Formats: sequence, C-alpha cells, structure tokens
Amino acid sequence: MLTVLTISVLGFYLLHLGARDTARRIVGDTADPTIVARKAHELGLDRPIIVQFFDWAGSALRGDMGRSWFSGQPVTDALASRLPVTLSLTIGAILVTAVVGTILGVLAATRRGRVDGSIQVGSFVGAAIPGFLVALILVLVFAVGLHWVPATGYITPETSITGWLSTIILPIIALSIGATASIAQQVRGSMLDALRLDYVRTLRARGIPNRRVTYDHVLRNSAGPALSVLGIQFIVMLGGAVVVEQVFSLPGLGQTAVSATIQGDIPLVMGLIVVTAVIVLLINLAVDLLQGWLNPKVRLS
Amino acid sequence: MHRTKLASVVAAGGLAVALALTSCSSPASPEEDHPTLRLGVITQLTSFAPWESAWANESPYLQAVYDTLLRAEPDGTITEGLATDWKWDESKTVLTLTLRDDVEFSDGTALTAQVAADNLARFRDGTSANASFLAGMTSAEAPDDTTLVITLAQPDPALPVYLSQNAGLVGSPAMFDSPDAKTTPIGSGPYVLDAKDTVVGSKYVYDANPDYWDADSVHYDTIQMAFYGDPTALMNAVKGGQVDAANLQSANQIADAEAAGFTAEKSEQSWSGFLLVDRDGTINPAMGDVRVRQAINYALDREGLLKALDNGLGTVTTQVFGTTTSAYDKKLDDRYPYDPEKAKALLAEAGYADGFTLVMPSNNFVPESVFAVYKEQLAAVGITVEWEATGDDLFGRMLGGTWAAFPFLLQTDPTSWQTIQFSMLPGSAWNTSHVADPTVIQLSEVVRSGEQADADAAAKELNTYVVEQAWYAPLYRPTSAFITAAGTQATVQVGNTVPYLWNIRPTE
Repeated sequence: MLTVLTISVLGFYLLHLGARDTARRIVGDTADPTIVARKAHELGLDRPIIVQFFDWAGSALRGDMGRSWFSGQPVTDALASRLPVTLSLTIGAILVTAVVGTILGVLAATRRGRVDGSIQVGSFVGAAIPGFLVALILVLVFAVGLHWVPATGYITPETSITGWLSTIILPIIALSIGATASIAQQVRGSMLDALRLDYVRTLRARGIPNRRVTYDHVLRNSAGPALSVLGIQFIVMLGGAVVVEQVFSLPGLGQTAVSATIQGDIPLVMGLIVVTAVIVLLINLAVDLLQGWLNPKVRLS
Repeated sequence: MHRTKLASVVAAGGLAVALALTSCSSPASPEEDHPTLRLGVITQLTSFAPWESAWANESPYLQAVYDTLLRAEPDGTITEGLATDWKWDESKTVLTLTLRDDVEFSDGTALTAQVAADNLARFRDGTSANASFLAGMTSAEAPDDTTLVITLAQPDPALPVYLSQNAGLVGSPAMFDSPDAKTTPIGSGPYVLDAKDTVVGSKYVYDANPDYWDADSVHYDTIQMAFYGDPTALMNAVKGGQVDAANLQSANQIADAEAAGFTAEKSEQSWSGFLLVDRDGTINPAMGDVRVRQAINYALDREGLLKALDNGLGTVTTQVFGTTTSAYDKKLDDRYPYDPEKAKALLAEAGYADGFTLVMPSNNFVPESVFAVYKEQLAAVGITVEWEATGDDLFGRMLGGTWAAFPFLLQTDPTSWQTIQFSMLPGSAWNTSHVADPTVIQLSEVVRSGEQADADAAAKELNTYVVEQAWYAPLYRPTSAFITAAGTQATVQVGNTVPYLWNIRPTE
C-alpha cells in the first residue's frame, strides 16, 4: 500500500512537471489560446498541483480513477478493456519462456557438447536481438509474406479462440525470445552447479535413475534462481509489451501508455502506473510463494 | 523411436495450428457485396461530443454517426445536409437555414431547429479546436421546428463551410448533460456505433443505420476504423491486406502501398515553410524591413529542400493560399527563385550587409537535420540562425508572439477567407505579433463582405500583396495520400486530409 502510494505521489508530480501544455495537446496544436485556456479550466489544470493530487487520490480511494482527459472514457473502463490484452500477451510469453527456456537449459546442462554449444550460441543471439526487430521480422515473414496470421489487430477469445491465437501468437514469440534465452542460460548454469554437488553423486550411487535425479532433484534445486529471473522477466515484459503492442497494433496497456504519455493524459497514465505497480507487487508475491513451495528452507527463513 | 513419435506429434500439432490460424486470417472474399469497410485511421478520436470534436483526420469517426447541417462536395461546393436550403440576408450577417423534417436521432428523438441551435451554441462555447469558427455567432434561434436562424456580429463567408465540418455536427439533446457524451455518440448519421465491439482509442465499429434518411450515402453494412499510431504497423496492415483504405502518415509510404496493390489518391493539404510574423520589427528590428523578409525568401533553395526533406513529393511555392481558393495565383508559386546573391544585395540595401541574428524555435518532432539545413541556407546569405530548443511550451510561446519567425507546417484552407482569418488579420491566432496592416485589413473586408466577383478579385490582390511583402517564406506544399485497395475507391476532398466518408465506396 505504501509502495503504491509513494509511486502515485511521485508519478503525479513528475507527470505535472512534464505536462506544461496538456490542454493544447488535447485541443490541437493550432487551436486559439482562448480555447486552450477554456480546456485547461475545464480540466482543473489552473488549480494548484496539491489540490489536483488530493482530488485524484480521494476519488481513486473510492475506486474512481477519473476519466481520460483525451477520450473521456472512465479510466477503470479503459484499463479493464486493455488489461486482458496485455495480460494474455505477457502471461502467454512467460509460459512460453518458462517451458522453452527450461527445456533448453536442461538439454544444455545434461547433453553438453554440440547441443550445449548450439543452445549457448542461440541464447546469446536471442538475448542480443531487440524485441521490436524480432517482431518486425515475424510480421514480414508470417503475416505479410505467408499470410498465415493477421499483421495487426486483436481478436478476443470470446469472439474466436483460433482468431485470438492468430493475433497473439507472433507477439508472444517476439516478447519471449529474449526472456527464453535468459532463462535457458540461468537453468543451464544452476543445473551445472547442482550436478557437481555431492548429493547428486550419492543419489546416482544409490541406483536412482538418471532421469529422476535430473528432474526430481537437480532441476527442482536449480529452479529457485530461474524462478527469480522469470519474475523479473515478467516485469520486463510489461515494458517490452509497449513496443510489441505498437508493432502489432494491439489494443493493450502498452499502446495506451504510449499515446496517453504523449498526450499528457494524466488520469490515464496514473491509472496505468497504479495498475502496473499492483501487478509488479503481485508478481513478486507469487514468486516468493513459489520459492517457498520449491524450497522449504525459504519458508523457514 | 520415442523421439520420432514426439517429432511427428509436434509436426502434426504445428500443422493443425497453422491451418487453423490460416483459415481465420483469410481476407474477405471479393464476391461478397462489400459488407464491411476496414478503414485505417492515423489519429485517435478526440471526442464524440460535437462541442469538443476535431475534424480533418478525425472526420470519418464523426461523419459515421452524425449529420452536419450542410455538406461539401469533393470540390468544396457546399450542398444540402440536414438543411435543404440556406440563404444570407443582405447584410450577410444572418443565415437562415431550412431543416429536413424527417430526421431522427438514434435514440428516437426528432431533429428540430431548436436542437440544432443548441448544438451550435454549445460548439461556440465548447472546447473544440475549431470553436473559434463560431466565435462571431451572436445567436442561433429556431422560430419554428424547421427554420434555423444564425446571426453573426460580422459577415463570415466561410460559415457554410464550417457548418459542413465539425461546427455543423448535430447531436441528440440527450448528449448535452451526459457524462458519457465523449464516448457515446447519439447522432442521426448513416451508421450507429457498435459499443460492444469498439475499443475506445483503438478500434471503432459502426453498423449501418437502417432508417437513415439518405440511403444513397450508405455503402457498407459495417465500417471498422482501426487506429494505427505507428507508421510501420499501418504499412504492415496494408501489406497484410487488413485495411481497405487509409490515410498515410507520410507520402514516403506511397511507393510501398502501391507495391502492395493499393491506389494512392494524392493531394496537397498543407504548406511547409516559415512564418515571418514580426512584420513590424518589434522583436527583431531587421524583420520589420520588407527587403530582409524578401532576402529570406530568395535565400531558400525550395527545389533542393523539397528533394532533401520530402523526397521531392510536393510542389514548391511562395504563397500560402491553397490551389482551390479564389486567391490562388499560379505565378506566385515561384515569385522568389533561389538567388543567394539577390538575397545578399537586399540585406545590404536594408543596412544588414554584415548579416543579422535571427532566433527561432526548434522542436523535438522535426528531425534536427531539418533545422541544420535551414540554418545552413540562411547562413549562406549572412543570416545567423540561433535555434532555441523548446518542449511542451512550443505552441504557447509561439502563439504568444515570442519569436520573430519560425518554421512550421500549416493547413491550406479550402477558401480564401479561412486562410485570411487564420493568419493575416490583427486578431488571427497565427498572426502571432498581431500586426495590423491597413491594406490587408481593407482587402480582407472586401473578401469578407463584398460581392463574389469583388471578393475574388480582392483575395487575389491580397495574396499578391502578402507575397510581395514577404509575410511568409513558404517552401512547398507536401503531398499527402489516401490509399485504397482493389475493390474500394475514394474521391479526395478539397480542404480535408481524408475523403468524406460517403465518398469512400466499393468500386463500381
């Protein structure tokens, strides 16, 4: 709660510092100054910042985040209609990252040799290529070239599950490639460390099958650090979604964040800040709980 | 064996997903009777509330759900809209319109002249960027249900044009006090907003209004307007066959669009160049001398700048009036040929043989290289340009008269009077130093209230005068383009960057 409050105060103050001509941005560059002044008064921009903040905070505490200065839509409605798009994108990407990254990390750690080398090189390349470039290449190949999926836009799962998949699959791949590379490296490193530990040798000496040693013991012990990285990657993906949503023209929080920031739409940006802060807090909580499940020592500490 | 099985399963799964995705992304069949228009839009909607509405790139959003009191043909000729007849009184300050009696809003309320009058008053007092269009309206009255009388303080020949744009939008009275007016339009237009499938700010879906009074204007069952803020995303949608028509962010995209099978309807809707606003020399004494302002005009290599900055896509000019206005004179497109020697001679004659310093604002939405090129060309004749960095404060300071001159891209209006009103009169927002030139004022009065022939002649004379007085240093009119896919056609609208909605239709 304190974190969200601090972020809100800071966000509000910084937004006002950077928004000196919000009314003009809303009514248009060529508008007459009297109309700009009229708009500024309508929005309450001619009041002291402290009054504006307490007005906003008071309403926000009652669940009313205000209305977008630009579109007039209630901020809660704007966020509610866009959050599912960003969440389906980031959750999809984090699932792909977790599964593919873990498989590649395990393969690299257990097979070594050429498989390890190839995965290492692939990881470096994957981590080095910017997400937007991956997104552009995917669009050009699979949407523009092959016409397998639409290049832009979003279809809700309620409308069509296959349609939804067709609009979300390329953004998920674009968003997950860098994170997958990072998780693969993390899992590989942790597993190689764990494989050298005495208990692994003991388990093998007791005749426990290699597969069980690898998956039930080594991977579980290595999963802790990877989970922490996965939590960080999820947060990074919220930022990456801004670019990916622009390229694929997805109506998510990222696209809104870009336009609302450019327009100086403070109520909407504040809503985005609060929602993002809450998501980040929830992710950290989830990661902590999962860490406890994976490693009982964490619960004791 | 195990691995082979796994590979087979993965391959089969992948193929199934690919087939499923492919089937759902197939473009609409050309045999279909054009039930849907997919329009790419490059500007987000400001507001559905008529009194807060913008126009230009936003006009399709609004024309779908609203009618305007009057309409404009593609060539700018004013024609019937909600009003079937309109006439000025002798003083040209009272416009009387006769409205249709068979129009209903989508909430079932009937259109009356009082509703139209209330809309006009709200627009005048509202926060639309164009509220100043009606600033001179002293009253809007409805003596009966179909008669609307608009009274102006002074003649304004552009009023019928304004009434064909956002100033003439008419919404249901139920919108007036609704907190959702910005997002929930209640109009009498050819389509009705489908709120369920609309994502505010991203995608707007409109369904045809079955009871629309002008069925000939309705060409589609559904119109989807998708916002593309990113030029790359728009071009991907174009190449991926996801839009039937779109306005382009830049003329540089025309080649790509044509390569994708689209037709580009080109037009020139703006002019790029310098506003030499300190014509009295209050801010910078040098700028008060017409020879200095002319020298700036001679110092600019317009052909070179057009090629360098806009790939040659446009027409060089030295006048600010649009080609469709009565003031336009083709000869004035090259009144100041590139002649640095002449520029130097004029500066010397004005007493600035050693040049002078000119402070102008730069900004972060024009590439820095553009400012560098301008600086270099003016430096070649002895004018030292100092660019002052600006941020959000640019427009406030610019219109507040901070600088003696500045480069900008401004619209070319469809009529002479609009151009004059925009930047030439003492009270014009874009005459930022509010210079009052007796010749300009006198000729403007004739354009405003004279008989048509006299007004046209005065407009031409005024154009010549401001070009000779070098009030501006225009460079060129950049090309803009509206593209249509096979199966869709559009007619360019004079004075609007996007064709009017009813002029976008299936190919005949």
